[in-house]
Amino acid sequence: MTQPAGLMTRASTNHIPPEPDLERMHRDRAERVRTLMREQGIDALVLLGNTNVVYATGAIWPLSDSGRANFEQPVAVVLADDEWPHLFSPVQEDDRLRLELPADHIHGPVYLDFDEGVQLFTSQLADLVSGNALVAIDEWTNAMRRERSILFAQDVPVDGGRVISRSKLIKTRDELACMREGLRITERAIADVHARVAPGVRQTDLTATFLRTIFDAGADANILDPIWQVMPSRIADGPWTTTGDIACPLLSTERELVEGDVLWVDTGISYAGFHSDFGRTWIVGREPDARERAQFDKWREIMDAVLDVTRAGATAADLTAAAITAAGGVKPWMPHFYLGHGLGIDSAEMPYVGSDIGEAFDASLVLAAGMVLVLEPIVWDDGAAGYRAEDVLHITEDGWEPMTDYPYDPF
Amino acid sequence: MTPSDEPLTVTDVRPDDTALRHARRARVLAEMEAADVDVLIVGREGNARYVSGAPRLWTAGSRSFGPGCVMVRATGAIHVLSTWDEGIPDDIPHENLYGISFNTMNFVKVLQNIDGAATARTVATDALTPGFAQLLPMAFPSAELVDGEEMMRRARRVKTSEEIDMIRASVRIAERALAEAEAALVAGTTERQLTGVFMEAMASAGVTTPAAQDVAWITSRDHPWRRANRDAPVAAGDLVAFDAGIVRHGYVGELGRTFRVEAIEVRAEPLANREVSARWDELWDRLLDACRPGAAMSDLLGAYEVTGVQAPPMPVARGLGLGFDPPLVTHALPGTAAAQRFEPGMVLALTAFAWQEGVGAVYGQEPVVVTATGPEPLSTNPFRDPRSSMT
Repeated sequence: MTQPAGLMTRASTNHIPPEPDLERMHRDRAERVRTLMREQGIDALVLLGNTNVVYATGAIWPLSDSGRANFEQPVAVVLADDEWPHLFSPVQEDDRLRLELPADHIHGPVYLDFDEGVQLFTSQLADLVSGNALVAIDEWTNAMRRERSILFAQDVPVDGGRVISRSKLIKTRDELACMREGLRITERAIADVHARVAPGVRQTDLTATFLRTIFDAGADANILDPIWQVMPSRIADGPWTTTGDIACPLLSTERELVEGDVLWVDTGISYAGFHSDFGRTWIVGREPDARERAQFDKWREIMDAVLDVTRAGATAADLTAAAITAAGGVKPWMPHFYLGHGLGIDSAEMPYVGSDIGEAFDASLVLAAGMVLVLEPIVWDDGAAGYRAEDVLHITEDGWEPMTDYPYDPF
Repeated sequence: MTPSDEPLTVTDVRPDDTALRHARRARVLAEMEAADVDVLIVGREGNARYVSGAPRLWTAGSRSFGPGCVMVRATGAIHVLSTWDEGIPDDIPHENLYGISFNTMNFVKVLQNIDGAATARTVATDALTPGFAQLLPMAFPSAELVDGEEMMRRARRVKTSEEIDMIRASVRIAERALAEAEAALVAGTTERQLTGVFMEAMASAGVTTPAAQDVAWITSRDHPWRRANRDAPVAAGDLVAFDAGIVRHGYVGELGRTFRVEAIEVRAEPLANREVSARWDELWDRLLDACRPGAAMSDLLGAYEVTGVQAPPMPVARGLGLGFDPPLVTHALPGTAAAQRFEPGMVLALTAFAWQEGVGAVYGQEPVVVTATGPEPLSTNPFRDPRSSMT
């Protein structure tokens, strides 16, 4: 048994079952989605976005580059009066989809970026929904815009993506169990990468190790070109930004690491339809010096202050206020991002905490049990770079429970 | 720039080469003029890079529409969603960069402030969401929203010579990474592990972004395209198909190959003697024959019919370019295929897929550039030769 690390040393986990019940997870989701549809008077949802389809159908496939993913995409149709969603997919005989769908709910591929594809799809859809049904969609391709028969009687279609956004906000215990496993896979790969960090190693070498290990450990896909950003000592030494603040995340190249480089790490994978998120600061080839340790201590202070107010019923503004107070009156996060964000079938989803949606939004956003939050404050110490790390946790009625289990080494 | 001029090691984030950028932008501008489009807004990464020449963070999976890049016809100005200037070409000034936002109203403000937004009569987008369909009229009050995707497809369909060089260089990396995966193909290994080996080799070669992550497939002996669990072990005699696709500097290099797991009893029966191999060879010849300038792309579908090979579940041809690029030729869209013609300068990945009960499937995907005299393979070792000699 390994020792708990990072956040795990602060709190225990009682609300996450050791193994997810996938059948129950899909059933619970389907019920939520259809309840929301009925509340909004939506008869059918047509979903194109990869992660929305994953959520609505439970289908799992290795995500491809966005170029191909936008054209060869599985499509889901959810009907308010049918407990099973329909899936339109290139390969129907696929054990990896982990489908429990009845055979008559699995159809061949559709191509909704082509006029002919939309016409063929609408004729299939006509067999599933009545002519006066309210059909909501998440994406509206130009070919779909030209087809006015069933799909788009309205000038602007109803936004079906919002149904999924609302439904996925609160995670079930089975979803939390899947997410925790995705985080474990990520952390196993990160441990291998961490051991490899040394002067002379290229950023792309770290990526090579990461990619090999995540698949060996059971990942379905990588979801983000991994970030091992060498931070400049001063903001002015880095790229120009629209905010005048830190540029991050910057792309990895074949640049070789040198002793003393401060690396900001940011990666994520997909597992069982969920995305993971991981962030830490590493120092190449030496121990942190006193100034760097002071940055980390400050970061812990900010994180602790935020965690002290994190619980169901707290607002996002409570969290940002705690962070700002602990940081001495400044916002300890990057202005183009946030203090924290949700995580689930997407790498960043609601709830956003401290984003440019604005302070009024933060004041109105009330945390609820079952939300998953990634907190990512930073401490910037111009002249000596800074410290950034991300910790994943889920909200409980009386507080929070950690999901990240990785040490802050070398700090 | 030719592949041999390309430095082996890239240690900084650079915009796309100037000649490449200018040739692409000229095409987009010509399409905007022809369609009388005042402002073009693209969200798809391939389209955004085609217009801007700026590399941005790679993420997996489809993306819903957002204003990733904006081009104004009257001024030629390009505006890019990027919080920093690293990798941004120097002909896109700082004031034309707008940052990451989680607030769609902030995007509306950015668009409102673009010179020409208030008076634009025609605004083209490569896709939309219901949300942006409602918001865009706030930024472009006088404009009609039209199809920008069709326009981008026309611009991107035929590659410039610089683009073909880029794709060729990407194919080299895909070949190198595939060779590593092939070397790891032994009984007992799994599709997931083979995917990891491919990805590791790709990144070691300096490229960290795959075109697809469904790299290895143990083809079924019982069903034309059943996929087993990704953790099932490879068995002796299995035909294992590989889909090797990488994205280097935005350009896709993709090829598909099938290898057989070595086993003594299989060596006694060369694959080349099998019916599936002969049918695959005939299919491949006919697919190549079909790629004649002026011919309809439905001839590719016809190649399957003539050889009596069952239509595969995947497209028969995909365009290669900045990410995936139309045309998409599939049996599911026969009319679309019939309406499109081959032209010199198109780059396609052709797919030949044949299956035999009790044996498995032979899957080959070959990147080719269409020339005046026919298709020219872009890989250094086209599939047939090594497979035919396989014993």
